Amino acid sequence: MGLLTKKDQALILDPLADNNPITIQVLGICSALAITAELKASIVMGISVLFVLGVGNVVISLIRNIIPSKIRIIVQLVVVATLVIIVDQVLKAFAYELSKTLAVFVGLIITNCIIMGRFEAFALGNGPWKSFLDGIGNSLGYAVILIIVGFFRELLGSGTLLGFQVLGDPVAKTGLYALGYENNGFMVLSPMALIVVGIIIWVQRSRNKDLIED
Amino acid sequence: MLEHLELFFKSVFVSNMVFATFLGMCSYLAVSKKVSTAVGLGAAVIFVLAVTVPLNWLLDQYLLRDGALAWLGPEYADYDLSFLSFILFIATIATMVQLVEIVVEKFSPSLYNSLGIFLPLIAVNCAILGGSLFMQSRDIATIGLAFNYGLSSGIGWFLAILAIAAIREKIRYSNVPAPLRGLGITFIVTGLMAIGFNSFGGMLTGGDEGAKEELQQSAKTEEVKEDVKKELEKNEVSFNNVQNN
Amino acid sequence: MAINTEKNSYTVIFAAVMVIVVGSLLAFVASALKPAIKENQRFEKQQNILYAMGVHENSDAGSVNFIPTDKVEEAFAKHIKEQWVIQGGQITKDDTEAYLIDLKKQKTAAKEGRPPKLPLFVGEKDGETFYIIPMLGNGLWDAIWGYMSVNQDMVIQGVFFDHKAETPGLGANIKQRYFMDDFIGESIRKDNSYYGVDVSKTNNDPTNNDKVDNQVDALAGATITGDGLAAMVKATVRRYAPYLEQIRTEN
Repeated sequence: MGLLTKKDQALILDPLADNNPITIQVLGICSALAITAELKASIVMGISVLFVLGVGNVVISLIRNIIPSKIRIIVQLVVVATLVIIVDQVLKAFAYELSKTLAVFVGLIITNCIIMGRFEAFALGNGPWKSFLDGIGNSLGYAVILIIVGFFRELLGSGTLLGFQVLGDPVAKTGLYALGYENNGFMVLSPMALIVVGIIIWVQRSRNKDLIED
Repeated sequence: MLEHLELFFKSVFVSNMVFATFLGMCSYLAVSKKVSTAVGLGAAVIFVLAVTVPLNWLLDQYLLRDGALAWLGPEYADYDLSFLSFILFIATIATMVQLVEIVVEKFSPSLYNSLGIFLPLIAVNCAILGGSLFMQSRDIATIGLAFNYGLSSGIGWFLAILAIAAIREKIRYSNVPAPLRGLGITFIVTGLMAIGFNSFGGMLTGGDEGAKEELQQSAKTEEVKEDVKKELEKNEVSFNNVQNN
Repeated sequence: MAINTEKNSYTVIFAAVMVIVVGSLLAFVASALKPAIKENQRFEKQQNILYAMGVHENSDAGSVNFIPTDKVEEAFAKHIKEQWVIQGGQITKDDTEAYLIDLKKQKTAAKEGRPPKLPLFVGEKDGETFYIIPMLGNGLWDAIWGYMSVNQDMVIQGVFFDHKAETPGLGANIKQRYFMDDFIGESIRKDNSYYGVDVSKTNNDPTNNDKVDNQVDALAGATITGDGLAAMVKATVRRYAPYLEQIRTEN
């Protein structure tokens, strides 16, 4: 990547693992739990956040010098909310089907603390290009966790992936089900998302001992 | 009165913000290391919810919902500003949070220091905006109920963070596998608590208005039956009297 | 930059400018797109009503396919024979836009003591008559709504449910084919009264062979959505009961 300096690369790659927004920075948990019962919803949410965080970070970074610090939270929220509402309205007018799929996520994106957290921690102190990379990196890190959780919950809970029955048909007893395998309905319940994320944290921290808390 | 009581228990236990809808998770996980800080943040959340939900209820009733502007005159009755609700709700919340921040900084600097960046983050604590949006979508009928709803959801959140903070203080003395220490075990414990809270789901599943009416009607018929019984008894008594005579 | 961003006057001016810019931007977008959005919503309502009475393009057993938007208006005019509006016990049958009635507004009206408008649609397909009732209720996160068609014996011929923001994979499954198809054949009457349909977790009938129990099998992990849906169906059936009884005893 000739375009990116080493520092720039770190901005994108760090949040993917050692500085992951969900497992290390503890940001954006609510949405990670609410929508990961299905892989498809996880992917859609990941892409939406990628868009909003990328653009939002640039906007905030551009106006960072003229925002009065007393009302900066309001300004940040207004920027996110405006972006999301405009996208939502445009989709409703021109791509109605898509907008119905996304309707669930509108509120979740606005209140996603990963967005505010990155505005506060990065975009307010850095230039637009760096903020853009930071936004992309963090939302990718976020999407990775969402997709892992969504993958396991859908596979073990419903026996499907993206809606396709990959383990066979549970009613006709084909594939794995012929051997007596049963779906674990527990996996689709929201509490299991917490436990899956807990296990991801376990795996990640066993591989990288520096991250262990005392 | 019964309505208020039902809403209260429902918001504290059955649809607990943390365990049923998983709202406000970020600050819940990050500020629950010590009971004392958890209490501070929990109290702030109760306060902000109890203030913003009724405020936003007023906004929703008299400004945002379809036809809400009718009080300005009949020519305004057709306006539907509900697409602005996100922005206005958030503005109310952010203003309130900034107020709380100023007050806490003035009167309790130690609490202010320990809450750190999470005070401003209350503004994006999804539990707070969630409270207002639920209030809107569930058509809470009166401002009293809206206040009750904000307060009790806050108390539910407070309970949850208090419980997890207490557990985390205790768990420090347990032999948790090193990579799970801190955040990892908190996630798993929260998951188990949420499963526990699921069992409240069977309580007060009401919301079925008709069933309530029927219940009242059957209660009435029972009253009628009682009356009839009494009459009968009276008659019997007089009948007995006659016989005795 | 030499602007002092800490000054109060600056803060106030900044806030004012921001409100004006954002407000006018949003108002402009909203009003510019309103006609297109309304049109989309109108088509959607027509599609949903037709779906509930069995006019759809379902090809396999698992998917939900509506009449495409470019043909829906024609199909709607062909299949929907009458649109009733019931208000305060009076039935009027000449409103051709009754399907656009906003149920939420009628709910508020009922709460404030004004008589609500209750729409009911009479559809016809292959010589059979369908009575289609719209419904509105609450799920876990936000509103849920739907349409239910019954025949003259008050047996459900088809339903369509939708939701604004239920959990994907859990509550959102109310709009899955397997759940909606379970309702077909259930009666909304029980012991000579109008009862509705329960969404049950304990009916020991997961394949739904028993059609006289007023129960369908619940969705895993969606207790609150399921309860909300059953409450919606029951409340609607109760509200329409006197008029449904009229229809049932007509001939």
